[in-house]
Amino acid sequence: MRFIHLADVHLGAVPDRGCPWSGKREEEIWETFRRVIAGIRENPVDLLFIAGDLFHRQPLLRELKEVNYLFSTIPDTRVYLMAGNHDHMRQDSFYRKFEWEPNVVFFQEEGLTCVKDEKLDVYVYGLSYHHQEITEALYDSARPQEGIGLHILLAHGGDPKHIPMDVSSLAAAGFDYIAMGHIHKPQILLRDLAAYSGALEPIDRNDLGPHGYIEGRLEKGRIKTEFVPFACRSYEQLLLILREDSTQYSVEEMLKMDIARKGVRNIYRVILQGFRSPELLLIPEKLKDLGYVTEVLDESRPSYDLETLRKKYSGTLIGDYISYFLEKDRNTVEEKALYYGLQALLETSR
Amino acid sequence: MIIKRIAIKNFGKIHDKTLELSPGINVLYGENESGKTTAHTFIKSMFYGIQRQRGKAAKNDVYSTYEPWENPTVYGGTIWFESADKGFRLTRNFHKVNPMSELLCEDTGEILDVDKGDLDVVLGNVSEAVYDNTVSVAQLKSVTGQDLVRELQNYMASYQGTGDNSVDLGRAMQMLKMSRKGFQVQEAHRRKETEKEQEKLAANMEYLRQEMKELDERRYEVEDKEKSLHMKPGEDDGISLLDDRIQTITRRKWMIYTGMAVFTALAAAGIFLFGKFMPETVVPQILVGVLGLTVLAGGGRMQMGLTRELVKRRKMKVRWLQKQEKLKWNRESLDEAMEEKRTALSNLQAEYKEYEEDSYLPTMEGTEIQALNLAMETIEGLSGNIHNQVGGKLRERTSRILSEITGGKYQEVLMDQELRMTVNTQERIVPMERLSRGTMEQIYFALRMAAGELLCSEQHFPVILDDVFGMYDEDRLKAVLHWLHKENRQIIISTCHKREMEILEKEGIPYQKLKL
Repeated sequence: MRFIHLADVHLGAVPDRGCPWSGKREEEIWETFRRVIAGIRENPVDLLFIAGDLFHRQPLLRELKEVNYLFSTIPDTRVYLMAGNHDHMRQDSFYRKFEWEPNVVFFQEEGLTCVKDEKLDVYVYGLSYHHQEITEALYDSARPQEGIGLHILLAHGGDPKHIPMDVSSLAAAGFDYIAMGHIHKPQILLRDLAAYSGALEPIDRNDLGPHGYIEGRLEKGRIKTEFVPFACRSYEQLLLILREDSTQYSVEEMLKMDIARKGVRNIYRVILQGFRSPELLLIPEKLKDLGYVTEVLDESRPSYDLETLRKKYSGTLIGDYISYFLEKDRNTVEEKALYYGLQALLETSR
Repeated sequence: MIIKRIAIKNFGKIHDKTLELSPGINVLYGENESGKTTAHTFIKSMFYGIQRQRGKAAKNDVYSTYEPWENPTVYGGTIWFESADKGFRLTRNFHKVNPMSELLCEDTGEILDVDKGDLDVVLGNVSEAVYDNTVSVAQLKSVTGQDLVRELQNYMASYQGTGDNSVDLGRAMQMLKMSRKGFQVQEAHRRKETEKEQEKLAANMEYLRQEMKELDERRYEVEDKEKSLHMKPGEDDGISLLDDRIQTITRRKWMIYTGMAVFTALAAAGIFLFGKFMPETVVPQILVGVLGLTVLAGGGRMQMGLTRELVKRRKMKVRWLQKQEKLKWNRESLDEAMEEKRTALSNLQAEYKEYEEDSYLPTMEGTEIQALNLAMETIEGLSGNIHNQVGGKLRERTSRILSEITGGKYQEVLMDQELRMTVNTQERIVPMERLSRGTMEQIYFALRMAAGELLCSEQHFPVILDDVFGMYDEDRLKAVLHWLHKENRQIIISTCHKREMEILEKEGIPYQKLKL
């Protein structure tokens, strides 16, 4: 017995609006989902769990038809599906009247229900969001029914506003696997027992790192799971450490090399750190043209030796200025203010 | 603090030179290029060390400028000075490979640690910047009157606001404002981009609404048509009318069939009876036969007409039903399209709202702008503090000194909000522009001396006057030298003229001559 657990596909999402690649990303989210189905067609699994947020917003009827058509191409795979907080079942939701293919189980109710697959002896438990936010811990009281076979819980949420969950006690209650959705970062909570598969494709610039789905198989009566990277690109963070001899050109070269090394397909957030020469006038905007770069955060500092300067200028405004900030537990703004002011005072000195 | 002796071992162009200083007035006399500035730099470097610049700047930094050509590994010397009634000896070698500094308290025999900050304590924590602002007084740089006024006003303003005459508050603030402007432009640009995206969304929403309106209209049309076909339940609709008509025709057809059959039977019976009872004549038989045939033909024609109508009505019914079916299908597909659009619209509205919510989030530029604002506020606040502590006192003391060295001719130095300086004579207020160069030099001297007293009030440092009396006439010079003597401080007058020494001798003021 094999299964695939995925979640948070967010069909219809438009990532990085305003960036030139935004439209392409919207299409890629669909495409990757189609690839998963095509993969199942090639190498069928018995079960496919989609743990919520298949759609980014309210699904359109034609989108449901498209998805349903895809499911019809894998008739030997039983698909378990639910509405998450993003595509929750509103009063006018197309989910309510939609007729799914015979191999699809859609959990309609907001209360937990159990569906048994007679052929495989698998019990799947699930519910659908009827509201955008659910603060009640709807899953925590779930217990597997009597019956020999696998008991799998499909669960979406896990934060205070989206069905808070006590995963370890749920696992202890006897579920064989808890297929979770909502958190976009893939993470195994309990080895082979409970995991967020993470978003199939990253949805925005904060969904860093690899994305894909979880594949599970029954081996000697035990479920074994494994994360399968499947997204066509990932969002990455690039740290560029500036030095005193860094120049605009050298920083650009450094970035180009890093992007070439980590993959030109990926989308980057660039963070500049380290100490640069105070004279260097860096234009971070220009770095954006060197690849898929969403933003450049400049956290680098002019290479001032604050203690030496404080000593040298003690008793004058510059000394007072440095002391004022050094004696503080500085936040980001204060840290930046320290260097901005200091640089202005030093550079305009006669 | 009093410098007692300096022994320059190897520094710039000076080698093995020892100068003994008096605690009062010293005159460091030498031709141009004889090394007076080298001696000043030596003194400062002894107290504060030489910080190397990095990168390209190192080529022209102090270290490179004074690095000896001959025997460069010996680069430094010794200075003896007195601080807080204790004698100290400080020896340094500045050479970059193995720099050395040794501070000995000659009274206690204790060796102090320069690197751990013992020297700072001995110097009363007077920083390098404060030393620059108090100990060494260079001549005014400006040549022309306007520039001179500006330079003086800058000095005064800088001292009052920053305690450092080299800081240019105005330009520093200007620089920060320019940076802020840059980020503001970027932020506005980004906001515009977002607005453009929002406008696109709004346009899509408008387009959807338009489509929905059209759908609505089409639905009304369909409904109207349905109404015109009387398709509303409970009403007489076209179908039932047609059905009625079809029924009527069918009934009539049957009646005519029946009529025709009866008539044919009657006619046949008539012909038969006429043949039986009136065999003599065939006329009635023929008449009845003709009548019967005529009626039969008429009946047949009516029957054909009715059949045609029946076929027509039946076809109409089928068409009518098809029409109804089509309208119903139309209405339903319009309803479905409407639902689809409605969902799409609500999705767009949700996205539009997210954009609006996002616009309240702090932006990258916002953080920079905040930081720049904080920098400006802090500089202003701290400068205000310094102004409060130094400003008034500085003006008072400057006025006092000016009055003393001008024999009371100028009583007061004033500075207005726009940092314009004026002086008060016994009779009137004179703008700076109207004063002679000599008077301006006197104001400068008074200002520097006052600043020196205020900025390092805990410990008096010697004052090095570097060629500052060049523009003084004899009376002014006499007055200022008397004042210096009266102040009873260690003074080093650095000069390439003999005038100072001549007047000192003539006035009987004791001094120590230092010859390079």
